Amino acid sequence: MTIRNRLKYLWPARRRREEREMREELTSLTAIAGSQELGNLTLAMEDVRASWGWTWLESIVADIRYSLRALRRQPAFAAVALVSLALAIGANSAIFSFADALLLRPLPVKDPAAVFDVTSTTPDNPFEGMSFPDYRDLRDKSRSFSGLAAYRLTTLGVAANPAAPAQIRFANLVSGNFFPVAGVTPSAGRAFLPDEAAQPVAMVSYAFWQQKYAGERSAIGSSLRLNGIVFTIVGVAPASFTGLDRFALPSIFVPLGMAQRLAGEMTDPLEDRGRHDLVVKGRLSAGASRVSAQAELAIIGAALEREYAKTNRNRRMAVRTELQRRIQQSPHLLALVKMLMGLVALILIIACSNVANLLLARGRARSREIAIRLSIGAGRSRVVRQLMTESLIVAMAGAAAGLFVAYGGILLLNMQSVPSDPPFVLGVQLDWRVVQFSMLAALGSCIFFGLAPAWQTARTDFVTALKTGGDGAAGKLRTFGRDLLVAGQIALAMVVLIAAGMFLASFRNILAEPPEFRTDHLIGMDTAPAALHYSPEQTNAFYRRLVDRVRTMAGVAGVAMTEALPLSPSQTAVSVAPEGYQFPKGREKEIEFGAAVDAAYFSTMHVEIKRGRAFTDDDRAGSRRVAIVNQQFAKTYWPGQDAIGKRIRVESMDGMDGPAAEVVGVAKTGHYLTVNEKPAPFVYLPYEQNPRSRMTLIVQSTGDASALATPLREAVRSIDGNVPVFNLRTVATLYESRVTDTWLNYSQMVGTMGFIGLALATTGLYGLVAYTVSRRVKEFGIRVAIGATRRDVVWLVERRGLMLAGVGIAIGGALTAVAAPMLWASFPGLGASSPALYALVALALLTVSAIASYVPAQRAAGLDPLRALRNE
Amino acid sequence: MDLLQGTLDMLVLRTLLAGSLHGYGIAKNIRSASNEALDIEFGSLYPALKRLEAKGWIASAWETSEHNRRAKYYKLTAAGRKHLVREHSKWSDFVRAVGRIMGTLPEVKG
Repeated sequence: MTIRNRLKYLWPARRRREEREMREELTSLTAIAGSQELGNLTLAMEDVRASWGWTWLESIVADIRYSLRALRRQPAFAAVALVSLALAIGANSAIFSFADALLLRPLPVKDPAAVFDVTSTTPDNPFEGMSFPDYRDLRDKSRSFSGLAAYRLTTLGVAANPAAPAQIRFANLVSGNFFPVAGVTPSAGRAFLPDEAAQPVAMVSYAFWQQKYAGERSAIGSSLRLNGIVFTIVGVAPASFTGLDRFALPSIFVPLGMAQRLAGEMTDPLEDRGRHDLVVKGRLSAGASRVSAQAELAIIGAALEREYAKTNRNRRMAVRTELQRRIQQSPHLLALVKMLMGLVALILIIACSNVANLLLARGRARSREIAIRLSIGAGRSRVVRQLMTESLIVAMAGAAAGLFVAYGGILLLNMQSVPSDPPFVLGVQLDWRVVQFSMLAALGSCIFFGLAPAWQTARTDFVTALKTGGDGAAGKLRTFGRDLLVAGQIALAMVVLIAAGMFLASFRNILAEPPEFRTDHLIGMDTAPAALHYSPEQTNAFYRRLVDRVRTMAGVAGVAMTEALPLSPSQTAVSVAPEGYQFPKGREKEIEFGAAVDAAYFSTMHVEIKRGRAFTDDDRAGSRRVAIVNQQFAKTYWPGQDAIGKRIRVESMDGMDGPAAEVVGVAKTGHYLTVNEKPAPFVYLPYEQNPRSRMTLIVQSTGDASALATPLREAVRSIDGNVPVFNLRTVATLYESRVTDTWLNYSQMVGTMGFIGLALATTGLYGLVAYTVSRRVKEFGIRVAIGATRRDVVWLVERRGLMLAGVGIAIGGALTAVAAPMLWASFPGLGASSPALYALVALALLTVSAIASYVPAQRAAGLDPLRALRNE
Repeated sequence: MDLLQGTLDMLVLRTLLAGSLHGYGIAKNIRSASNEALDIEFGSLYPALKRLEAKGWIASAWETSEHNRRAKYYKLTAAGRKHLVREHSKWSDFVRAVGRIMGTLPEVKG
């Protein structure tokens, strides 16, 4: 039959009409010839239908219809299965979307699988950026890439006109081929032209265009002041392109060649081979692989090392996939993602066991129906297929409902925010990838829970099944399987609950433990005079004037400066070489947290000096260079020795060769980036000896700290109205959002998982116990008839439930003993799982199991023995 | 007697050349025309009719039979006629060719 004819028959109405015609015709012929003469008409009709070519579809539709009818007949089963799966798949999808936002989502470029990350590495730093001269050499010499693009993430002060105060925005300084290599075409205007590599032209992000220009075309060609320089907007990036960094979405793209003018530097950073601050991405050319590209870059890198010994000693070129880069760069995110995904996977297994158990119980009840179908000639494969269809429908409905659950979860996850200005964006979203993931999870679950009843059916001995009215063979063996499933559920619920308990316990500890620095009566304010390309001298003068002015303001008790507030999301690091420390072979420096602070910092922030002294006003530019380290630093680099008087070389503009600083004090170790980090070494450097272009002002108030916000803004404006002011917030707010909120969020996440796991496992236990009671009605009847008391029967049922729970708890305990150390290892700051926690969780599980068994036990005890016996 | 693939279609078309018939009539006709040598089961004939109809070589319509009963009558279409001519010449070529090889059987020992 031709395709066209065939397609006609796809239409069910058409097939129905043909079917009617056919039946009518054959009836009429039977009347003429007699049915004897015509032979097997059923077969003939089947042949004709087959020739229409859609019987497979029809049989699938029939399966689906049949399944829906079967599900409708048992709404309780359908509801429990659906809710179990919806919760579990929803939780999985929500966590997947979180993992996607943190790590997994591909770059928003064309064919992201072909784009690789190229970094230069040294034994000291496996993730150093690329210098522009190195990049230029790679770009020109390598054949493995069809294009190599470079960019740098930075912040710029953005203003529409000279009078307006600048706003700080994320920006990308990009190489000319950045957009072509990304395969991104502007949604309005154009990308950069080849001769614009050092011209004041800019592209803006779609979001910025919408927000500042309401999406008007007239934005193109208009001017914009970036760090005080007038740029012309030439194009708008498409909405889908949000830059190549995950959390810092750029509003502005400008040519890399403008770097020097934007930063107001004396020398061109693009000509400095020792300046490693570019991110390089390459699109592989056809035929090249990561391995071949790596091999080629190794050769080019070695040539550069020979030629530029000073800057490129021990420097290698590494080609990584985006995912490799993210994982290697933020292993803690991988640990977090692994842990969360692992926990939700356990929940999915619990839910699947639930559905499998329900299906098994149902399969038993349905074995008569299935036996009838088998005996009238349905193939076993056909029956199994129908059962799998049923499972698939349940799974898909679960996935669909799960998406709503996931959506709710995503809303919660997105409430997690990092207080920062410009904002870091986590970007958890319900997108096509999440839908795909849900469908995959549903399919996987379907295979998991659908196979059991299918297997059961494949073994159905229909003669026995018909004879005994539903009670097939090997009853003992089957309940054993189901017992195992329920015990497994309880075991897994125990693992999830203990993990949740560990989180809650650490959360409580954190709340109980005061921060290592003062949080009350303090307000922080960031300013960036560099955004107006101030010279270092001008910056220094600006800060001196600002501190003097603020100190005399009403309501101000003190002023200090630091490069980064503790626990703010943008911490600063320094490269250090501590005196006497034996570096591993090939390495010559370590990168540690560090900040330039002024003399008032320690007293204002109440950072305790354990030994030695704090900085004083005498630690000036010309005086002896000094530093303060924390206890952890001393412990790491000079174990068992006195840190006071030791010397540290600190990397500065001149590399590691500047004069060493002498340690004059040891500060108490605190938390710097997150509250659950492992104790980290920290170096404080006096600001006057280590001038920085951007500092945070810390102002101590006599009254309400937040009341100082407006006067502080005014103070900056009175010195220079164009200097951008940002991150103006009280230290208490910062601490709360970084510590309490984040930790609360994790605890809620894991706590919700624990709750879902417990609820699902309890449902499973209840279902099994109730089922057993219904199977043992006769036995209970006899027991009551021969004198068993109500209490005996209740205990009989309870015992079973508790035994299952007991076995589950034992297995769960063993599993947790294995899993808990992995949790600690991956999640620093997590309290140890105490025996008390184990006992508490075990007790909770036993209690819930006892309650779940009590309901069916009551039913069993309430049986009327006569009715129960007659029931058979 | 078993039929070669596609032969049934040809027989049906040839039978309908004489005039329209209902499904059972076609079966009866083939049987009697072949002196009962070809007893085609209606169960195999009927799907063939439907196939031919789908190809547009025959068409059907409800009519009243000689005994005043309603039945679906099949008749040859123009396309069917053309197809029959083509098949017929192919068939006679085939028969001639096989005939030349087979001829009359010489005396076979054994």
